[in-house]
Amino acid sequence: MATVTAPAPRIALPGLLRHRAVHKLLLLAVAAAILVPLANARWASGSWPSALTVDLTEPLTRTSDWIIDNRDTHPLFLYFFGHVSNAVVLSVRAVYLVLLAVGWAGVTAFAGLVAWRVAGVKLALGTAAAFLACGLLGMWIPTMQTLALMVVAVLASVVVGALLGLAAGLSDRMDRILRPILDTMQVMPAYAYLLPMVLVFGNGVPAAVLATLVYAAPPMARLTSLGLRGADKEVLEAVESLGSTARQRLLTARIPLARKELLLGLNQTIMMALSMAVIASVIGAGGLGDRVYQALGSVDVGAALAAGIPIVLLAVVLDRVTGAAGDGTEGSGRAGWAYALLAAVAVAVAGRLLGRLDWPDAWTLDIAEPVNRAVGWMTDHLYSGVPVVGGTAEWAGHFTTWVLDPVRDGLQGLPWWSVLLIVAALAWLIGTWQTALTAVLAMAAIGVLGVWQPSLDTLSQVLAAVAVTLVLGFAIGIAAARSDRVERMLRPVLDVFQTMPQFVYLIPVVALFGVGRAPAVAAAVVYALPAVVRITAQGLRQVDQASLESARSLGATSGQQIRQVQLPLARPALLLAVNQGVVLVLAVVIIGGLVGGGALGYDVVFGLAQGDLATGLVAGAAIVCLGLMLDRVTQPTERRTKKGA
Amino acid sequence: MSTTTTDSATTAPVFSVEGLWKVFGPKADSVPADPELAALPPAELRARTGCTAAVQDVSFDVRKGEVFVVMGLSGSGKSTLVRCLTRLIEPTAGTIVIDGEDVRAMDKSRLRELRRHRAAMVFQHFGLLPHRTVLDNVAYGLEIQGMGKAERRERARKVVEKVGLEGMEQRRPGQLSGGQQQRVGLARALAVDPEVLLFDEPFSALDPLIRRDMQEEVVRMHREEGRTMVFITHDLSEALKLGDRIALMRDGRVVQLGTPEEIVGSPADDYVREFVRDVPREQVMTVRTAMRAGDCEGPEHPGAIAADAVVAEAIKVVSRSRKPACVVEDGRCLGVVDHERLLDVVAGTELRKEAV
Amino acid sequence: MRLRTTAVVGSLLLLTVTGCGAADMTKQASPFANAGAKTVTLSTQSWVGAQANVAVAQYLLEHQLGYRVDTVQIDEVPAWDALGQGRVDAILEDWGHPEEEQRYVQDKKTITRGGDLGVTGHIGWYVPTYFAKQHPDVTNWKNLDKYASQMRTPESGAKGQLMDGSPSYVTNDKALVKNLKLDYQVVFAGSEAAQITQMQQFAKEKKPFLTYWYTPQWLFKKVPMTEVKLPAYKEGCDADPEKVACAYPHTPLQKYLNTDFARSGGEAAAFLKKFKWTTEDQDEVSLMIADQKLSPEEAAKKWVDSHASTWKAWLS
Repeated sequence: MATVTAPAPRIALPGLLRHRAVHKLLLLAVAAAILVPLANARWASGSWPSALTVDLTEPLTRTSDWIIDNRDTHPLFLYFFGHVSNAVVLSVRAVYLVLLAVGWAGVTAFAGLVAWRVAGVKLALGTAAAFLACGLLGMWIPTMQTLALMVVAVLASVVVGALLGLAAGLSDRMDRILRPILDTMQVMPAYAYLLPMVLVFGNGVPAAVLATLVYAAPPMARLTSLGLRGADKEVLEAVESLGSTARQRLLTARIPLARKELLLGLNQTIMMALSMAVIASVIGAGGLGDRVYQALGSVDVGAALAAGIPIVLLAVVLDRVTGAAGDGTEGSGRAGWAYALLAAVAVAVAGRLLGRLDWPDAWTLDIAEPVNRAVGWMTDHLYSGVPVVGGTAEWAGHFTTWVLDPVRDGLQGLPWWSVLLIVAALAWLIGTWQTALTAVLAMAAIGVLGVWQPSLDTLSQVLAAVAVTLVLGFAIGIAAARSDRVERMLRPVLDVFQTMPQFVYLIPVVALFGVGRAPAVAAAVVYALPAVVRITAQGLRQVDQASLESARSLGATSGQQIRQVQLPLARPALLLAVNQGVVLVLAVVIIGGLVGGGALGYDVVFGLAQGDLATGLVAGAAIVCLGLMLDRVTQPTERRTKKGA
Repeated sequence: MSTTTTDSATTAPVFSVEGLWKVFGPKADSVPADPELAALPPAELRARTGCTAAVQDVSFDVRKGEVFVVMGLSGSGKSTLVRCLTRLIEPTAGTIVIDGEDVRAMDKSRLRELRRHRAAMVFQHFGLLPHRTVLDNVAYGLEIQGMGKAERRERARKVVEKVGLEGMEQRRPGQLSGGQQQRVGLARALAVDPEVLLFDEPFSALDPLIRRDMQEEVVRMHREEGRTMVFITHDLSEALKLGDRIALMRDGRVVQLGTPEEIVGSPADDYVREFVRDVPREQVMTVRTAMRAGDCEGPEHPGAIAADAVVAEAIKVVSRSRKPACVVEDGRCLGVVDHERLLDVVAGTELRKEAV
Repeated sequence: MRLRTTAVVGSLLLLTVTGCGAADMTKQASPFANAGAKTVTLSTQSWVGAQANVAVAQYLLEHQLGYRVDTVQIDEVPAWDALGQGRVDAILEDWGHPEEEQRYVQDKKTITRGGDLGVTGHIGWYVPTYFAKQHPDVTNWKNLDKYASQMRTPESGAKGQLMDGSPSYVTNDKALVKNLKLDYQVVFAGSEAAQITQMQQFAKEKKPFLTYWYTPQWLFKKVPMTEVKLPAYKEGCDADPEKVACAYPHTPLQKYLNTDFARSGGEAAAFLKKFKWTTEDQDEVSLMIADQKLSPEEAAKKWVDSHASTWKAWLS
């Protein structure tokens, strides 16, 4: 039937179509009608045909062996990677030694005073309190290790990111080359960066710093480019009309005009570096993340939390201070800075003279035990046998049996070509034919890599988690948008959940939901929920007040206001929330592997644990492809300019 | 006819624009070169080539010391035109000559020289640098030229005073009102002491009252310094108020070029006529146009009116004296205006052309 | 691609800075090592037994010998790599990695054997003792299928669940289930933490379960478990991982030291070579850490205070 319309010329179509959705689907149906019988005849199988897979295990294993055998002899390593690694080690060490030499009093004073100059008294007190809390929890040394690693990684990321951003901001060609790469890196789960780094540098700080660099530089590059490109055209024209040279334009106008974006870039880079520095504990980054990871081994939630809290505190403080720097106009007083610096030095020297460099052991507070007791009580009482609603274990069981299993079996039962078709249809409906092509290619790449089945398993978990996240996120987001009190109460909770290392809530999640895919979904929901809530609430609040007022003047009830005005008008924000939800859920798939989620997440964990880079890299690549595909399928045509909330 | 016309005959034009084209789109170059394409109306051109002709075959001279207004509705190509003058937008075809030098042939450094010293521009949305103080914004052009800090600040301070912003030197643009910001923009352009000032709809973003202040400021400045100005506007009354001559643009072409009086008094086509329909003609038309041949009755001319006076003034005189008034120029009698002639002007009835 | 640009720029910079010399990154230590005092870096694996070794060694190194000890948690195989590179000075408990031993000890000679830990490790399949008491025949693998329906979970679907743990552990379970034709599904908990948590939850409810587990392990004190007998282990019966159909061996756990450290590590190296204790000792410390939630340091202190005779020998 569909073949009647087949003569339509393929190339000219996308631009011309008027009723786009219908035409796109029709066209796809035509393509499918031609291609599917062909494909089916040739490779008749439900799962991805093995004739179309490429086995990378052999070459990858050989590469990995070669690297290990030649790491101390081959010139590439001796003269290049060796120096890179050496530079990282030396600089991290230098920063670490300085931090230790300054002592806890000096570091706290310095941080507080910097915060004071940048963001005012309130944040200064908060910053100092946060650092003291790190010491109080007995985490001073790990905190300094993480900080040293962060300082180096952030500096490197900012330099690299700013240079790339400058290139992309000034040259259209560079922008065309870099933009898709940066966009893609934005959606890659952090773990995907670890394996290649381990492959080259082995476990340890250099690999961790470089993984952090690769992870944290893209936002800086994106925002730098965005800032340079977004500068007020007329200002630039005015500057040009006065006869400025290109260099003068850059230095006196474009860069100063992009100040806000540059600082936002710094902020995002710091946040991403921090989260990566924690994740990189898996490959030997040391510091706070390592303490969390170690606490896992003894199933000690309390100890994990004691190391997790400093991370949260660092994250909140760094976020607020750099955020304030972006908002405020630059401070007038150089004298203020001088005084601040002087005071910090004085405190550091005083600390030194008093011999109080290390945090005094007596001043620590043990929170591990009460926390463990609380977690134990909670899991004891919620796990099973709760009257009426049933325990969490039963929920998890039902969720697995009634949601996860059917979705997984359904996906795996679909013929492979129909999965590609569905992906193509979804991506094309929401975007352009390019997005559809990217999505289909990404999906096909998964098949070619030979991990079709586990990928669909992972996909089923992601879909289930996204559904739960969106239902909860929209509900909470609407509540937060409607009531200032709810929003105020939510803010710290969201902050904590967004920055808390995922390792910390791994054990409670297992204790509540057992081992399997259900806890993996739960962990993903916990991680992705804050961003979805935030974007939803923000989107609803930013709805044009005039429209809302006119609705109210017509006597709309608050329910009607939400349904008929706020939700439709906040549609772009809600779509963004969906996209972010998907990307974030996918980012914790590997955490899912640690609690029995199996599939791709387990493969990556396995690859890292066994040093079996073939398995790990292939699974990591599949996760990246899944991420690309999901991003394209959920991303409206107008590209978003900034990352998330 | 007017004074400016007679002056200009003797002096060479500051800007001389000849057959200027600006076409946006693929293969833009081919459009001006092809007479068939060049003659097409914009909509058809876009359909056939995908090109948009913002400026089509425009020619005019800007004379030294005059205020040359380019006026048109949005999309008429006037802003593109003014940017072509200093090649902020690269023209597609045609010639631009400033003081006898071909602008389109200039190399980079020569062009920079032009922008730095000879033509400065004032922008619609001011184009100020938000991170600099008022003083540093004004001094910016001088800084670009490489002038030392103390000297450029000194000069900037003087210009700031001139535009009436004393005491605000250390503020940032964000702390100023729109009118004050545009004064900064004006001061920045003035600070480099350019030969020509280019204005791109400088007052259209301002409130009406402030706009009038600023217009008067420009009139005053022009009276005092006699600097050549090219002024872009979409506001007819602004054009009539400021312009010595007006080029009226539509769809990238100049449909009429003349003095305000010529535009209002003898519109070139229906578009212009429609455009100037609501203009209070007695405020624009001069007695010279309204008068008829006649004698002033004797060598003395009590109650005589200057030939350049607007009709509104003549109406006052005539209605007070209740008899035709004498029109003089340089003490010489040119003719008379009476009731009937003046009413004709106000009503817009076609004037009988009579030899004077 | 961006990585490469970065790398090229970085390398040029570095080459100018370092004067084009060679830099062997396998000789680069952790940046956190040796900060302030003479430092030993120990690898601690994720299971508590390994933590117990490290805790006691760390306590003695710090309090008796005046070292500063850094611990890094790395999985087993990567830990070998790190040890070879000298980023870690010693592994105190290794369960046998013939491939790595060949590469690092025999071929590259960057790692040196550190002798027995004194503890014997064993991997096996376990059921909780409360269940084994009710159904004594469950402890023979031939009867496992009878109980498959009781071991079912949502994850294992229609089959019984055999729970495996961390991906870093040696396991033949998938092949075993297949080759012994059991009606079971291997479910990977993905981490030991998850596995232990799940076992504790099952135990609280007195539910039956079948799990991969190993001794010495502190959890036996909390959740008593009985081993299920698999076909007896014979030398070489696990040679082909696809065809394994026998039990896991008993392994004397080994210590390994970085060669340079072993040679020039002074008192610390000598001490670590002599470090040797029993399964009971290790379990005692493990239990304090994992169950009483003492910090490893406190647990080590308690043990050290009461076992002076044992550790005095290591210091001599």
